[in-house]
Amino acid sequence: MVGVIRRLNKLTAKVAMPASDPPLPVVTVARHSARLLLRLIDSINGGHMGPRKFWRTALPRLKYWNPAIPMIVNRIREQEKPATMTLYLREPGAPVKTDVPQPSSSFDGLSKAPPPAEGERIVTINMSNRRSEAILQEFMEKTGAVPVQPTPQDEMELREAEEREAQGAVDRERVKREVEAEKREKRMIAQALSEAAAIKSALRWFDARRVLGEVTYF
Amino acid sequence: MASLSSCLASMARLSLAAPARPLLLGSATSASTIPKFLLPAAAATTTWHQVRHASGGGGMRKRVKKKKAHKTFRTYDLSQMQQFSLCDAMRYLRAFEVGRPPAVVKYELHVKLKSTKSGPVIRDRVRLPFPVKTDTRIGVICPEDSPLMIEAQQLGAVAVGQESLFESIRQGNIPFNKLICHVDSHQALLKAGLGKILGPKGLMPSQKTKTVTNDLKGTVQELIGADEFRERNGVVRIAVGQLGFTPQMLSDNIKAFMTLLKEDIDKVDDNYLKELDEVVLSSTNGPGFSLNGLFPPTDDKITPEDLQSVM
Repeated sequence: MVGVIRRLNKLTAKVAMPASDPPLPVVTVARHSARLLLRLIDSINGGHMGPRKFWRTALPRLKYWNPAIPMIVNRIREQEKPATMTLYLREPGAPVKTDVPQPSSSFDGLSKAPPPAEGERIVTINMSNRRSEAILQEFMEKTGAVPVQPTPQDEMELREAEEREAQGAVDRERVKREVEAEKREKRMIAQALSEAAAIKSALRWFDARRVLGEVTYF
Repeated sequence: MASLSSCLASMARLSLAAPARPLLLGSATSASTIPKFLLPAAAATTTWHQVRHASGGGGMRKRVKKKKAHKTFRTYDLSQMQQFSLCDAMRYLRAFEVGRPPAVVKYELHVKLKSTKSGPVIRDRVRLPFPVKTDTRIGVICPEDSPLMIEAQQLGAVAVGQESLFESIRQGNIPFNKLICHVDSHQALLKAGLGKILGPKGLMPSQKTKTVTNDLKGTVQELIGADEFRERNGVVRIAVGQLGFTPQMLSDNIKAFMTLLKEDIDKVDDNYLKELDEVVLSSTNGPGFSLNGLFPPTDDKITPEDLQSVM
């Protein structure tokens, strides 16, 4: 198994998720959101890049901070259909229901958006041809979600992860140079050896001809 | 004489470093005429010509250190590792796996052992309270046209027989992912020479894996819903749950597995080191979280029930 420190560094970098640029706010969804359904297209062509990015970068954070809310992704093959997000919002005062039939995520388009249950209303967001940041912005407006502010410790971890990444880039460059130099040296030695062998055989050829009297020197 | 000109080319190169009309006349051992820097091997053979000082230079000689071979797999100081409770790890993993089909994505457990590199390895089958895989298809090798064959078919085997089954295996027709063999057919199986085909797939029945048996019913029942695990490089890995499992289901599975693993470790000969070191939970696409053995989430706003929602 890989060493402890290396694993921990990788994990903190992933958990901090600094990959997006500009950094996305971590979002908590207001309690009245009941369910969240995304219809995604399998390909990135035709304006589906943004929705996929939203799924990859924003949705894990939403899920982490709102583990109880079902967040279902339905991937379909039909590229001409728009990518949509369906929000099921609970009406104020409606009781929290747990026995609502809910299909799970599907990669084969099997998990279609069901009609709203009692006490729910539907809000849809069109995600096609939009950047994931814009989708998240509209999502926050429509659900009344509040960004979670990172704690000083989170910020420190994030900074450390970035510093490690920067130092890693420097080290990678250095190691690459060293490996290149080593390879070059090996190549030169091999070349010199082969040239020496060629000269040796040439001299042998001359010697043999000289003995036979075929070659005369100047 | 095309080759003469090419030879002269290399001669010309030689003349750069050597006198104009060098030692060709009468040089029987032409290797000695080649500059040393071009022929390190030749130079090496003549080292005995060099003047040796009284000290012999022994103090300066670099000795190639022999790498110490470790007898045990490497273990690390876990005090630096951040460890998580089961619900915390699940919360992260569910976030990493959001939007993926829950029956496809599995929770995996990696148990690192303090163990010697040589010696016995842990290898066993576990029947988890909540089975992870449900696609077990069993093949049975037993004498043709015997009551055993009918029994095996009734037990739900997808391929039954002896010579006919061997033939279909040779042709690459393997509809099963578990294969057991009745004791009566074991000799025939060994003679058939199927080890080359079945061995790499891990299907070859053997006494060691308890797949050569005279109790077909018991073995088939044990195989259905049972998962195999074995130690590789000091780590035991097994799928312990589907993404859709609740924290309680996953906890039950992990407990059942760890109990059996501890028993297996206790059975190992005392002459060999075999101890638990670290337990890591990961998922198909998620990172690994080292577990601290606790269950409840540390965030008091989250309850285990929150981690049961549809994925």
